[in-house]
Formats: sequence, structure tokens, C-alpha cells
Amino acid sequence: MSEHILRVENLSVNFGAVRAVDDVSLTVDSGDVYAVVGESGCGKSTLAYSILGLVPPPGQVSEGRVLLRGQDLADMPAVALNRLRAADVAMVFQAAMNSFNPVLTIGRQVQHILDAHPDHSVDGRAHFTELLELVRLPAEQVWNSYESQLSGGMKQRVAIAVSLLLQPSILVLDEPTTALDVLNQRLIIEILKDLRRSLDVTIIFVTHDLGLVAELASRVAVMYAGRLVEVGSVEEIFAAGRRHPYVEALVGAIPSVYDSEGSARAIPGQVPNLAALPGGCRFAPRCGSAQSICAEVDPPLLADAAGHALACHVVNSGLPVREEVSS
Amino acid sequence: MNVLDVLDVVHRYPTTRTARPVLDGVTVRVPENSVLAIVGESGCGKTTLGRLIAGIDRPAVGGTVHFEDQDIWSLPRNEFRGYRRAVQVVQQDPYASLNPGLTVADALRPGLVRHHIVPRRTVGDELLRLLRLVGLDATPAFLHRFPHQLSGGQRQRLAIARALSLRPRLIVADEAVSMLDVSMRVSILDLMLSLRAEAQQLAYVFISHDFGVVRYFARGGRVAVMFYGVIVEEGSTDDVITHPKHPYTYLLLQSIPVPDPVRARRRSADGMIEQAAAAPADEGCVFANRCPFVSPECRRSRPPLTDLGSGHLSGCFFPERVPDSGGEI
Repeated sequence: MSEHILRVENLSVNFGAVRAVDDVSLTVDSGDVYAVVGESGCGKSTLAYSILGLVPPPGQVSEGRVLLRGQDLADMPAVALNRLRAADVAMVFQAAMNSFNPVLTIGRQVQHILDAHPDHSVDGRAHFTELLELVRLPAEQVWNSYESQLSGGMKQRVAIAVSLLLQPSILVLDEPTTALDVLNQRLIIEILKDLRRSLDVTIIFVTHDLGLVAELASRVAVMYAGRLVEVGSVEEIFAAGRRHPYVEALVGAIPSVYDSEGSARAIPGQVPNLAALPGGCRFAPRCGSAQSICAEVDPPLLADAAGHALACHVVNSGLPVREEVSS
Repeated sequence: MNVLDVLDVVHRYPTTRTARPVLDGVTVRVPENSVLAIVGESGCGKTTLGRLIAGIDRPAVGGTVHFEDQDIWSLPRNEFRGYRRAVQVVQQDPYASLNPGLTVADALRPGLVRHHIVPRRTVGDELLRLLRLVGLDATPAFLHRFPHQLSGGQRQRLAIARALSLRPRLIVADEAVSMLDVSMRVSILDLMLSLRAEAQQLAYVFISHDFGVVRYFARGGRVAVMFYGVIVEEGSTDDVITHPKHPYTYLLLQSIPVPDPVRARRRSADGMIEQAAAAPADEGCVFANRCPFVSPECRRSRPPLTDLGSGHLSGCFFPERVPDSGGEI
């Protein structure tokens, strides 16, 4: 049986009165490629940050906890937490390609990381060379380059290599393909698939791109306005008919290259303001199948035996009895 | 009649030292009231082509840009101003293309006044009409909002209203939806398409790297595929996507991440992606370094863009080698 490497239990993160992440629970098993999907402002990046204990102020974890191999991040002293970051849980930040120092070569910056972690035993430079090969870059050239000499796609791949430098067991990527063109997106997808095969690393990534999810993920959590609305295997999430109306609408909103009819449809309305949420189901005002109950009662996240969970009154009422997801 | 013709343009930026020009003999024609999509990877020159079409840059080496059959760079000053009014741009990033210190009204008004679009006393009414047209809240209160008070989708609608306010004949939309949330994209595309009915004569040059969005927006229109300054394929949107006749087009189509795990697993472009970072070739066919079907002939001379019939143009010596399945696997 695989190990629960990471558990998020009833986590809420507040920015003042605004609750960016609201009562989110999820379990990541060792070896998963776990996707957290949602649109801007749904709380997915905040959730990713909280996995590293890095919620930016004034945000703070207001309820719940994050357990890494059973250990609560909140109980860890700051020193231990710092050691954990990069060496155990590494993050590739959104627009990581813009996070290099422009006046130092990539090699110097990597050397700084290695110097800051002297207790790490591997031969850093040799290991980085291997990692650059893994992300399909010429090692020698990159080592001596300044960031301005690399393209956006190359920088993103260097950022992934850097994040793997201290051999973390969990790699968290925030929007790894945003702002890249289609060829670079494809390259990142193939590289992350390679990483899964060749390194013993669990991948958690945050994205709004359902194409990326379908290509890469094994498990998927979909967020809407701070809440989880559906959690399941990638097959369950993309199987038409038995999914959350938001997921259904989101898939239907993507113009497909295979569709000559132009049948993509935008989701009417807008993502709600987190400071002024509608009562009941948060998606109800935009939902085509909303009933009267949806505007009044918050739908619970109910899971079947296989772990496919949905928070929808309408879809859940048509399914066999399900169990409420809790910690 | 064509609203715009780009004829054999060769362009390079004065600061670049590379041997290859940014645009190397590009010819595209935009008929009135039509959609031409330009597709290619980052750095292929598609934005530069958009800048030349909008008259922001002038072809530095050779070739001409014609608006309604007149070379824009030999127009007298007052006519050049008319061309500038008639060709508008919607940029990629609505967070960068709107001045954060200007209200909605301030963003829209100067163009109306400068180009005498409506009499001065009716400018206020025109502002509200424009907001209504692009699906924004047509109230005086909204006119006093600043960009930071608008969502990404609202900002892009405002950018479209600003382009539209000058009654253009052609809008250059450069990655106009790529920064927007997935659920918003189609509504912005629908808005731009619906404006053609309103404006009667409105053509689009739609620049994108996303073939899915291109198929949606340019259905019934044409697509030109660009690789490092060279148009390598051009044809009707459906033809190019379902029967690509250039290996680069095929590679782009194969690379698209599809939101369908079954389909995604069935196919992989990995074999071609291996060479995807190869630099463009200086001699012969520009795509030769990346092409899986390359022959010695391709290294000797550049294949001309040739009509294979029914207006489907390919810049490949061996278009028959390109698998037909690019669009539907």
C-alpha cells in the first residue's frame, strides 16, 4: 500500500476576512502526480504555498493543518521548516523563469544553493549536470549562461532542474506551463513524465490548463472560489456525465482543435468575489442545472468507495449513497 | 478587395546581431471583413508582423505594407492618420495595455476627440454606447473606474472598446485571450466575432500560438503558420488543421495538450519534440534542422510557398510526407 506522503486536513487560509482556502482536505500518496485545478482567485496557489508553510502575510492558516509524513508543519520549528523546504519539498514558483538573478551566471546561483546546504552529501555540480540533461538542456552552456541568454522555455526548465537539486521527495509546481507556447508546454509535459519515471519524486502541480491535467496528472482536485468541488482520478474527472457542473462547463469552455463547429461555450457570469460570496453553492449563480436548494444549502463534498468526491446537490442526488469527506 | 496586403517584407531589428532577419520575405493578404490567423511559436516573428501591419514598425530591409492598395509609408500625413485610425490593436496583456492612472472614460475619450469620431457634445453618449457594445456596465459610475477595479475579462473588453471606438476596418489581436481565464476566453472571442456584424466591415489579424483558439475564432477564415520569419503554410482554417501540408504545422498540432486523458495517452509527439529546440537553418529550408522528413534537397534551397490547389499553400518540398492525421487522431 502506498504511503500518504502529504495530508491536508480541513485547511482554511484567511487574508483578513477573506477566506482564500476554505475547509480543504486532500491526501497525496507517494508517487502521485496530483493536479490542483482552478481559475484565477480560486485559492489554488495559496493552497500550494501552504504545503510549504509559505502562506504570504497577511495571509494565515486559520483552521486545519498540513501533515507531511504525519508531521504537522505548524509544530515544526522555523529551522526545521527551512531545512524541509528545497531538501524535502521543493517548489517551482509561478513565472519561475523570472526568478533568476540577472547579473550572476546560472552556475553561480546554483553554487549559492549548494553552499547554503553544506550537509547535503551529493556532488552538487555533477548532480546538476545530470538534472540539466534530464530537462534536455546542454549542461556546460547553461552553467555559464546569464538568464538573459536563455529563452523563456529554457529558463523554466532550468528552474525545474534547480528545484530538484537537493533531491526533494515532493515537487510543487505553480502554473508550470503558463506563458509558454505550445511546443514548450509539450516539452515540459514530457520532461515531467520523465521525472516521474526516473526520480522518486511526488509531483503536485497547480494549473488552470485542463490539457496539462489530462496529459500529466494521476489524481485531480478541482477548486472553485476557495472550495474543493471535485476530487478524483484523472479518468473520473474527465469522464462526461458524472462530474461537477463546474468541471463540465470548464471542459466545455475550451475551444478544441478537433472541433470544426465552434461548439465551445463560455461559462456565464463571473467567478464570485471572495469577500461577498453567494449563499449555498458558490457555483449556483452560474450553474445550468441549479435547483432551489443550491442557493440555500452549501453542498457537502461526498465521496464514493473509490474516492471520487463531488460537492453538488444535483449530481450527488442521482448517485448511490455516499460518504461525507472529512479528515 | 483586400483591406491589407503585406508584400515580401524583410525586417530586422537594428539591435539584433543574428544573421537571420526577423521577417524573411513575408507576404500575407487580408480580404475585407475576413479573419486571418497567424500561428507560430514564441519568437517566430508573429508579433513583429502585427506591429508592421499596425504601422508601429516600418519594414527595415525591404517589402511594403499596403492598406486599401496604398503603400502606407508613402501616404501623405493626413491619410496616414486615417490609416492609423482604421487599423487598431488589441494586445495580449490587459494589465499592461491600460494606463493604471486613467479611468475608463479617460482611456476611451482621447481617440474619439482626436479623430473627430463623434461631435464633442455627444462624446459622453458614445462612451456609454461603446461600453454597452462590449458587454460592460454602461453607467456613468463605470466610466469613473480605474483599471485595478476591473477583472481581467473586463479589462480586455475595455481594450476592445478602445480599439473599436475609432471605427476600425482591421483589428490586430495579438494573443488577445491567452492571459485570460479559461472560462472567459470564449466569451471574449464571441464578442470580437459579434462586432463584425455591428461594424459591417471589420477584418481581424488574429495572432496566437493556440490552435484550439484559432480553430474557434478563424472558422471560415484562413490560417498562416509562421516559423522564424517565414510563412511555411497557409490555407483555410479547416484544411490546415485537418490536412496539414507542412511538418511544422503537424508538429504544432501534435504538441497541443488535449483535455482528454484517453486521447492524450494514445498519442505522443515526443519523437519530434526531441529536435524541437533546434535553431532555424540559415541555408535552405528554415525548418530543416527540426524536420523529421528532411532530405538533402532541403539543405540546398528554400522551398517556395506553393499553392497545392484550392488556396492551400505549403512551403515544403515534400508536402505528401506530412501525415494527414494532424487534426483528428
